[in-house]
Amino acid sequence: MINNLVFVILVFVSSYAIYVKRNLIKIVIGLSIFEAGVFYWVISTNDKGGKLPFYQVTRKGLDMVDAIPQALTLTGIVIGASTTALLLTFIIELDKFTGTHNLDNLKGLDD
Amino acid sequence: MNLNILLLILIPLFTAFMIPLIDLIHKSIRKYFVFISINIEAFVAIRIIINNFDKIKSSNLFLDYHLGGWITPYGINLIMDPVALFFSTLITFSLYFIIVYSIGFIGHHEGKYYVLLFLIFAAMQGTILTGDLFNMYVFIELIAVTSSPLVAFKRDQNSTEASIKYLIYSIIGGLFFFIGVIFIYFSVGSLNMAEVAANFGNIGFRMQLFIISTFLISFLIKLGIFPFHFWLPKAHSACPSSISALLSGVLLKVYLYTFIRILWTVLDYKIIVDIGLDSFIIYLSLFSSLLGHIFALQADDIKRMLAFSTIGHIGMITAAIALNTEAGFYGAMLHIIAHLLMKSGLFLGVGYLINYVSGHKIEDFTGIAYRHKGIFISIIVFSFGMIGIPPIIGFMSKWYILLGFLESNSYLGAALVIVGSLTAVIYYMRYIARAVQKVKVEPGLKNRGIFNKPIISTFYRERTVTLVIYLFTLLVIVTGIGFKVFDMPINAMIPELIDSQKYIKHIIGL
Repeated sequence: MINNLVFVILVFVSSYAIYVKRNLIKIVIGLSIFEAGVFYWVISTNDKGGKLPFYQVTRKGLDMVDAIPQALTLTGIVIGASTTALLLTFIIELDKFTGTHNLDNLKGLDD
Repeated sequence: MNLNILLLILIPLFTAFMIPLIDLIHKSIRKYFVFISINIEAFVAIRIIINNFDKIKSSNLFLDYHLGGWITPYGINLIMDPVALFFSTLITFSLYFIIVYSIGFIGHHEGKYYVLLFLIFAAMQGTILTGDLFNMYVFIELIAVTSSPLVAFKRDQNSTEASIKYLIYSIIGGLFFFIGVIFIYFSVGSLNMAEVAANFGNIGFRMQLFIISTFLISFLIKLGIFPFHFWLPKAHSACPSSISALLSGVLLKVYLYTFIRILWTVLDYKIIVDIGLDSFIIYLSLFSSLLGHIFALQADDIKRMLAFSTIGHIGMITAAIALNTEAGFYGAMLHIIAHLLMKSGLFLGVGYLINYVSGHKIEDFTGIAYRHKGIFISIIVFSFGMIGIPPIIGFMSKWYILLGFLESNSYLGAALVIVGSLTAVIYYMRYIARAVQKVKVEPGLKNRGIFNKPIISTFYRERTVTLVIYLFTLLVIVTGIGFKVFDMPINAMIPELIDSQKYIKHIIGL
């Protein structure tokens, strides 16, 4: 149950960052925390004990951890990293145009 | 095994990665390379239709390709069934015209544009053709990653802001999709769509509800339906017009496909009806539709107005699909074609005209009709189609959606279709009336106003651009008169949507 609690806490922290904070960098950090929370939740829900596949388990189908969720999560992390990088690139671009990355000074993002 | 399906994804992907290499040789070869590549793609799409014409006719089309030769539940498979065929063909041909337009519109100096455009092309084909849930997630994220640089393509403040907003919403929508996919894997133990569809009814009710709601939130964000529609008008209006046509006309149809595929085939729609979520989807979409039309009334920017109108139409289509009746599906599918043709045509035509003026505000639109009368008449035809005036396809599709709403006694929906049309009259007429106004040229204002501005064509090849717009106009009218052509593909996909057992039977052979 502790993993669900950690997930909920991380989602609350990230929601606070995304919806309350006015700094774009902090919003990106919030998104990253949200992603991290989801990935942590997935990995910890999958962990029901067991041995490492292929390394500790020599015979078929004995106490093996399901290897697919970690592979999917790894893909998710890669996608998350690339989207975060892209978002930061856009924020740097915006900073060049306007000299700020604070939403209070950027009225264009609110409409 | 049918290699043609794989080719539909591989050709644009190959082209995207070849363009930088072609640029190294000589930049002027690029446009010929792009043109040849989309022709091959269209040829493959036509070949699939011709080779399997009898199967489409008897609504029995199921082509598959196993990547790496792994058998179905274990490996990744590509599936082409009537639904996928319908959307894939639609996208191939609309992208064909949009790329031909881009060759004239963007010019010869932008290599990055074509790389991103072909990547998004490949990603859209992949989203439609894949038979694997996680693969679909990866392709959807690929669409988000490749379309946001295209939104920011003008590299000014407005488009960068739009892109940031679009990307933030896309990331959140994608994460909800990811959660849904992962929890499907935890509860069913497979990621293959047919396998999941066969076993989804057996898992616990709370898990079903959780998975359905995560997917629903993801689709509401991606489709721009009411509580999450804030990204859409800005993103669809800030980019170059060819990309606006792509995002508004084509890309939203891909998300509609995923919406149909996940909620109807993979997660049984009967479960959603039992919970009562279907009326929630219908009322939310109708409210979103109304809101889109109302916001379109107050938009003082033509591209923004068109984007709000897209919210209105997408809401109408989702509501008609969620009715889950044959008439609803028929109207919705017809309107998907109609909206694709008309909205792409409108964005392309407006993109042509506003290239002559400084901005796309309503004031800049004054007297623009006299710049190029042919294009302006095309725009009038498209707007009449949007409003729903008879010989154009927009009338036929709205009529069938109306019949669909009336058949399932959803009078609110029927009323909203009519209200939408009436509001559309006002907001299109505002711009048309402004455009036909004659501007009085006063001697003191010699250097201002559209009539004194010398025509500096920013087009690389103006004739291609106008040709594509005229072609869209012709298509809108011809398909409006002969809309019965679409009866065969639409009727082929309806039985599969109503009953997902057919899909399951064909793929895992139960």
